[in-house]
Amino acid sequence: MKAEQIILSFIAVLIGIFATGVIFFIYQTTRTVPPQNLKTVSTTAPSSLSQSSLFLTVDAPKDEEVSDRKVITVSGKTSKDAIVVISTNTDDLVIEPTSIGTFATTVTIRDDYNKIEIVAVSPNGEETKTTKTVTFSTETF
Amino acid sequence: MKPIALWFIFIFSFFIFPSCAFAQVTPTTDQTKTLEQQINSLKDRIASKVATLKLVERRGIIGTVISVTNTQITLSDIKTETRFIDVDELTKFASVSATENFGISDISKGTTLGILGLYNKESKRTLARFVQSIRLPSVFHGAVISVDKDTFTIMVAYEKNKQIIVDVESTTKTRSYAKEDGLTQSGFSKIQEGQRILVAGFGDTKEKNRIIASRVILFEETPRNPAIQVSLPAPIKSGSQKTATSSSE
Repeated sequence: MKAEQIILSFIAVLIGIFATGVIFFIYQTTRTVPPQNLKTVSTTAPSSLSQSSLFLTVDAPKDEEVSDRKVITVSGKTSKDAIVVISTNTDDLVIEPTSIGTFATTVTIRDDYNKIEIVAVSPNGEETKTTKTVTFSTETF
Repeated sequence: MKPIALWFIFIFSFFIFPSCAFAQVTPTTDQTKTLEQQINSLKDRIASKVATLKLVERRGIIGTVISVTNTQITLSDIKTETRFIDVDELTKFASVSATENFGISDISKGTTLGILGLYNKESKRTLARFVQSIRLPSVFHGAVISVDKDTFTIMVAYEKNKQIIVDVESTTKTRSYAKEDGLTQSGFSKIQEGQRILVAGFGDTKEKNRIIASRVILFEETPRNPAIQVSLPAPIKSGSQKTATSSSE
């Protein structure tokens, strides 16, 4: 008796799932979306292979930052095979990024106003540049 | 008798102690109102202070003067964006050329200024606290077009195929870069035509397209930027010949 009940319940559940599936299928195939609800999604075509993959993002320092320390960190990300040239008011540094393209180094800034130029150069000579202004000051205002 | 007494005490304590506790903690209606007023006042003051702090921040700006009035300086910053700088009676002025009384009247169009002040994110204006006339080196990443070993000058092509004459002097720090060795000491004789080069220096006051190099880096392995087209060696003007002399920045 019990076994019969279990089997019947199981069959009933299966029939229920099947019936729901059929109804859902019919609903999806016959459904119409009003034109005002339609959205157009445009995608940008992938860049051509000849275009450079060189990029440069600088996380630190922030542009127009005011620092009360003379030694500041320059960090960011670029292409892993590029070299990074960092030029301050008084010196230049050339560093290589890590295998994932991140780089970080410290530079010494001069009193007052400093222009820090960061240039990423790819092995084929292409370059991309970003410039940051960092001001050394201990003044409170 | 004992269990009944204990039970009675338990029930009693269950009702009485919380009542006492609430009686002590719960303030009167007047007290509540005063407390609420104080809290609201504190909230308002904190919110006002936070808003002010978020709205204004200390910033240092470098730019070239476009125009100047008694209360405002208009600059073109290093990203060539126009910046409005407000000047008041608290603003202090200084100059690298160290004239004794440098003020807003000494600032003219084309002067490079460093501004330290409070930048308002809403109005996008900066209230200057310090204004200084400064002189910064220019940095060029380019390719060597020609080398003049007699005058110790080189012609360098850089972005958009612009050209500049570079005086390499005895004080110029010349280095070369290779991946294995890093930056190493180098000299004028190692500079070759077509080579990728970094030049940092200060502009010549007499000639616009001429700089006196304070630093040079020669890239041994990295080719020049393909966007820079290096053609036949360009002649360096005979009138602008210079010998290698020492000069300070």
